[in-house]
Amino acid sequence: MSTVRLNSTPKSGIAGRRRVSSVIVFLFLLVGAVITLFPIYMGVLNSLKTEGDMMNNILAIPRQLEFGNYSDAFEKTNFLRSLGNTVVVAATGLVGIILFSSMAGYKLSRTPGRLSTFLFNLFVLSMLIPFHSIMISLNRISMKLAVQGSTVGLGLIYIGLGVSMAIFLYHGFVKSIPRDLDEAAVIDGCGELRLFTTIIFPLLLPITTTVAILNLLWMWNDFLLPLLMLTDADQYTLLLSTNMLFGQYGNNDWSAILSSLVLTMLPVVILYLLLQKYILNGIAEGAVKG
Amino acid sequence: MSGSSKSKQSLILLAFVFPALLFYAVFMLAPAFGGAWYSFTDWNGLNPAYHLVGFSNYIEALTDDAFFTDSVWFTLKFVIFMVVLQNVLAVLLAVLIESRRRSKAWFRTIFFMPNMISMIIGGFMWLFIFTKALPYIAEHAGLPFLDQSWIGDPKYSFLAIVIVSLWGGVGYLMVIYIAALQGVPGALKEAAAIDGANSWQTFRSITLPMVYPAVTIGIFVTLNSSFKAFDAVFALTGGGPGRATQVLALNIFEEAFKMSGRYGYASAKAMILFLVVLVITLIQLSIMKRREVEA
Repeated sequence: MSTVRLNSTPKSGIAGRRRVSSVIVFLFLLVGAVITLFPIYMGVLNSLKTEGDMMNNILAIPRQLEFGNYSDAFEKTNFLRSLGNTVVVAATGLVGIILFSSMAGYKLSRTPGRLSTFLFNLFVLSMLIPFHSIMISLNRISMKLAVQGSTVGLGLIYIGLGVSMAIFLYHGFVKSIPRDLDEAAVIDGCGELRLFTTIIFPLLLPITTTVAILNLLWMWNDFLLPLLMLTDADQYTLLLSTNMLFGQYGNNDWSAILSSLVLTMLPVVILYLLLQKYILNGIAEGAVKG
Repeated sequence: MSGSSKSKQSLILLAFVFPALLFYAVFMLAPAFGGAWYSFTDWNGLNPAYHLVGFSNYIEALTDDAFFTDSVWFTLKFVIFMVVLQNVLAVLLAVLIESRRRSKAWFRTIFFMPNMISMIIGGFMWLFIFTKALPYIAEHAGLPFLDQSWIGDPKYSFLAIVIVSLWGGVGYLMVIYIAALQGVPGALKEAAAIDGANSWQTFRSITLPMVYPAVTIGIFVTLNSSFKAFDAVFALTGGGPGRATQVLALNIFEEAFKMSGRYGYASAKAMILFLVVLVITLIQLSIMKRREVEA
């Protein structure tokens, strides 16, 4: 009896301490999570209030749901057109980056020799150059080539800026695909282009997913390059249109602004909740390799 | 025979690389070289005629432009805060989240979410918090320290920018650190526990050395992103009050596109930013890689 008690007391003591520290950890994380979600929560909550309701009880649930803010924001930001513009930019960039980088990354990885080493280094080295160092000159070049002031043009610029990292990721991934596969296909009379499109490209799917996610997020959330390249309100992306809502001297119509922020944020948040696993894996992979 | 097959191989290589290379050369390489070239000229962006002026743009920026040198110091201060706070917080979150069993996925989802949202959107939402919500809470909950002039007072606007940047960036590093932690073999930790190590000792002697490569990446990522910080500052303070929170990227942006249109001069500033980022990240990588080998 007494030995059992002697044995069990310290054990339950440790377990008890574990439980206490686990509760503390949980509470700490909970507070962090609340702080993290607070701006989003406040944005959504107050986007549904009238201006007066907002100023009187900023923290409370709306007295009555005011969806008028959303139609207001919809109109002021020309939401559908801005969304369409954003989609055009991102789609142009994405198709180009995936297609061109997979081709280049595959062939660079498969071809030995000085030329391919040189080309690979040329692509990869520029990942060290900050965007701000090229933006002034890029502005002039895009003006000369008349890609400035066009959503498709902006997409083309994203291709130029995005291929480096994508090639790097494809280059690394191709090493895991056995060479025998290429050789077998060539022996069967498969041409270079057909080999790539019908055999290699489908095998690249996992890394293509990563490349697509990283680049989509980058283009969707990028602000400075569209700000420099898109000159007319007709071409504005979602972020530029939202930015337009801000008055110069703090006379801000927060109802419309918050509604517009929620509208702009919603697609990515939904995408995130649906594709979490791929996104988090993609981010980890991109970060570790890039 | 082998010579011709080799040149054929090179041709095929070039055919596959060409489309990417074309876009890359036009929109990345050409502007990079162009920027370097313009930095030695007095070009104003409009006048087709311009002159080579040697290093005078660089000399002016570094010795005779208080706005620029102020923005350099401000950016350095910001970078130091971010490198320390963001990495410490990310490691802490990663370790604590990994210790949870059932709530792990939930916390990871929530802490990463701000990374999905553009810092422009996040910055504007926080602007609402700082200018409307916090004063309200301060008044009604009797927490007077929250009622600061977060955007109007340089001391607090620095803090505001740090808070928002941490909010937006910490989840990204957390994901990197979680991936590194999952790579630590459980057997090692069990062995340490059997030897009587407490959780702090295990963390210091087992976990930390094992995630050291991730710390190298984490600091590299933070250095890179915080030197280039633009969106959060643009949304929150616009560089103000006055120019108190003007980060380097904003200073260059305004020099080129808002204030003077001095493209040559702004290009020199951009080159200085590039060189600073390059030198500091190379030093960081070489120091940390050396320590990794020892560990």
